[in-house]
Amino acid sequence: MERENRFWRIVLLALPLAVFAVLVVWPLFSSFYYSFTNWNGFDSRYEFVGFRNFAKIYTDKLFLNAAINTAIWMVAAILLPTLLGLGLALLIDSRIPGGTIFKSVFYLPICLSAVVVGQIWVWIYQQDWGLLNTVIWTVTGERPAIAWLAKPETALGSVIVAWSWQQTGLSMVIYLAGLVSIQEELLEVCEIEGASAWQRIRLVIIPLLTPATIVVIALSVINSLKGFDILFIMTGGGPFHSSDTLAMHMYNESFRKYLMGYGSAISVVLFLIALTIIRIYFRQLRKLDEIHG
Amino acid sequence: MSIQFTRRGLAAAVVLPVLLATSPAISQGDVTITHYFTGELGKKSFDEQVAKFEAASDFTVKDSPIGHEDFKSGILVRAAGQSLPDVFSYWAGARVQFVVDSGSLHPIDDMWNREGLDDVVAKSVADSATMYNGNRYLVPLNYHYSGMFYNTNVMADAGVTEFPTTWDGFLELCEKLKGMGVTPIALGSMNRWPAQFWFDYLLLNTAGPKYRAALMNGSASYDDPEVVRAMEMWASLVDAGYFVPNANADNWTDASDRVARGEAAMTLMGTWITGYWNGIGLMAGDDYDFFPFPAIDDGLPTSVVGPVDGLVISSNVQNVAGAEAFIAFMVSDPGVQAGWTKGQGALSANTMVDPAEYNAVMQKANATVAAADHFAFNYDLATPPPVAEVGLAMFAEFMNDPSRSGEILAGAATAAAEAFTQ
Repeated sequence: MERENRFWRIVLLALPLAVFAVLVVWPLFSSFYYSFTNWNGFDSRYEFVGFRNFAKIYTDKLFLNAAINTAIWMVAAILLPTLLGLGLALLIDSRIPGGTIFKSVFYLPICLSAVVVGQIWVWIYQQDWGLLNTVIWTVTGERPAIAWLAKPETALGSVIVAWSWQQTGLSMVIYLAGLVSIQEELLEVCEIEGASAWQRIRLVIIPLLTPATIVVIALSVINSLKGFDILFIMTGGGPFHSSDTLAMHMYNESFRKYLMGYGSAISVVLFLIALTIIRIYFRQLRKLDEIHG
Repeated sequence: MSIQFTRRGLAAAVVLPVLLATSPAISQGDVTITHYFTGELGKKSFDEQVAKFEAASDFTVKDSPIGHEDFKSGILVRAAGQSLPDVFSYWAGARVQFVVDSGSLHPIDDMWNREGLDDVVAKSVADSATMYNGNRYLVPLNYHYSGMFYNTNVMADAGVTEFPTTWDGFLELCEKLKGMGVTPIALGSMNRWPAQFWFDYLLLNTAGPKYRAALMNGSASYDDPEVVRAMEMWASLVDAGYFVPNANADNWTDASDRVARGEAAMTLMGTWITGYWNGIGLMAGDDYDFFPFPAIDDGLPTSVVGPVDGLVISSNVQNVAGAEAFIAFMVSDPGVQAGWTKGQGALSANTMVDPAEYNAVMQKANATVAAADHFAFNYDLATPPPVAEVGLAMFAEFMNDPSRSGEILAGAATAAAEAFTQ
C-alpha cells in the first residue's frame, strides 16, 4: 500500500516537476553557463571568455546607474505600499462610512496585470490630455507641460507611484485581516487607561500587527524583485537609462545590444543579490518567529 | 496485473500530452513566418498578399506577427531558442549583416537566379540590400524614403507656396511658422528611432556619405568635428523653439497626429506616415505632402535616407521550397507588390510596378529617390546593433537637453568605441 502511494506521489509530481525543471531550473543554469561566454543570442558559435563579463560589470557606468535605481525601486516599492496599506487598513477598520466600498476600490488594482496597470498610468501621465496634468490645470488654472515619463527627473518616481497604487490594496487587505485578530477589549482598556489614539496605534496595534507586517514585507520584497513588466511598459528603462533597473539593464544588453553573454552575467549578479536579500529576510523572519512564538 | 495496467495507463496519460504539446502541428505544405507588419504598419494589406500566395500555390502560411518594437527582441528570443520560423521580415543593412555573420540565414542565390530576380528588383536596391558576405540572403519587400512631411493647410495658411531647398530657406520657413503661432516641427522620439533621421540628414548634408559611412563602421568617432557640427545645427533648431516641447514624450504616431491636427507644421518621417495618414482619412496631396530635406553644404552628393524591409529565410528552415516560393512570390508579383506598397505606404523595389499605381505624394517620393545620388540606410540599420543602441540613447538624451551635446557626444564616442570591439 505504502509502495503504491509512493508511486502515485512520484507520478503526480513528475509533470509539474518536469515543467519546473524545463522552465525554471534549465534556464537558470543556462544563464550561469552563458555568462562565461561571448554569445550574441543568434550565433551557434561562441567562445568562453572566463570572468571577462563579470569584470566588465565593475567598469559599466550603466550597471552602476541601474544598481542605484534598483535600490531606490526596492526601498520605495516596499515602504510605500506597506505604509499606505497600513494607513488605509486603520482608516477602514475605524468604521468610516462606506468602508466596504473603499476596501473593494483599493483592492481592485491588484486584480489587474502589471501591463494593464502600466498602460493606465501611461494615460494618466500623458502630457497633453492625461488625468494628472488635467487635474493640475484645473487646480492651478495654468496648463502644465510636464512630461512625467519623458523626463529623467520624474520617470522612475512616476513608475514607483503606479506600482504602489497597485500593491497598496494587497497590503491593506493583509493588515485588515491582522486587525480583526486584535481583541476589542484590549483597545478599550487602553482607552480607559487614557491612551491617545496615536499611542494605541503606535504602542498596541502596530506591535500586534507584526505577523501581518512580516507577510506584507515578504510579498513586497518578492514582488519588487519581479517588478520588470510595469517598468518595461511605462518607460522601457528610459528616457536614456534614467529608470533602468538591473533587470531592465540585463534585458537591454541581451536583447537590444545582442550581448547575451554579458546580459547573462548581469542576470547572475541579480540572482545573487536576490538570493542574499531573501536569505537575510528569512533569517530575520526566523528570529521574529522565535520572539513571537 | 491490474495495477501494472493502471500504471502504464497513467504514465501514458502523463507522457502523451507532453509529446503532443511539444510536437509541431505543422504539415509539409506549411510555411511558418513572423513579421512586424502589424497595426498601422500594414497588417491588413500583408494578410491580403499572403492570401494571394496561398491561392496561387499549394502552400499554407502559418503567420505569427509581432509588434514592430517587440519584434526587435522577439526575433532574438526565437533565434536564441533555435526556433526561428521558415521566413521572417528584417531590416536590410547592419541588422541583416549581424544575423548573416551569426550563420542564422539561408542563402537564396539559387532561388534568386532561378526566378530571374535580377530583372525584377531595381539594381540599386539589389546591390545595397540583398548581398551579404558575397551571397544573397534577402528579398526586398519594399523600401521607404524619409522626407519632411507637412500639413498642406497649415502651409497654405502661412502663405508658403515654395518649399525650401537650402538650409537658410528652411530656417526662414521655421521662423515664419513660429511667428504664426504654429510649432514648425513635430518629433516623437519616445521610442528613440524617429530622432535618427535628423542626425542622418544633418550629417549626410554637411559631412557627406563617405564620412557618414566611416562613422557607421567605426573608423570615425562621435566626437569628431563633423559630428559636433551636425549636432550643433540640430541644437540651434531646438534652441530656437522650432521643435515641439518634450519630444521624448511622444511616439511617432503622436507626432504625426500633431501635424495632422495642425498643431505642428511638419515632421521628418518615413513614407509609412502616408499609410498611417491615409488610414485616418487624410488625402494625399490635399491634406498632406512632403519636401526633401534641404541641402546644406555645396558640393555634396544628394542623399536620401530610409529603410528597406526585406524577407529572409532562416538557416533552420523546415520547408525550403515553400519558403523560397513565398519570398519569390512576394517580391516578383507586380500585383502583390502594388497592393502591398499602397497598403503600407511604401515604395516597391519591383521595377515592373507602374509608378502610376502610387498616389501623388508617393509618386513624388519615388521620383525623389530616383533622382538622388546616394541612398543611405537610416542610422539604426547602418551601424551594428550594439552601436546603434548607443546612438539612439544619445539622440533621446540630446532632445532632453541639447545644451549638453558636447558632453553627450564625448560619452557616446567612448561607448561606441567599446561597442565596436564587441
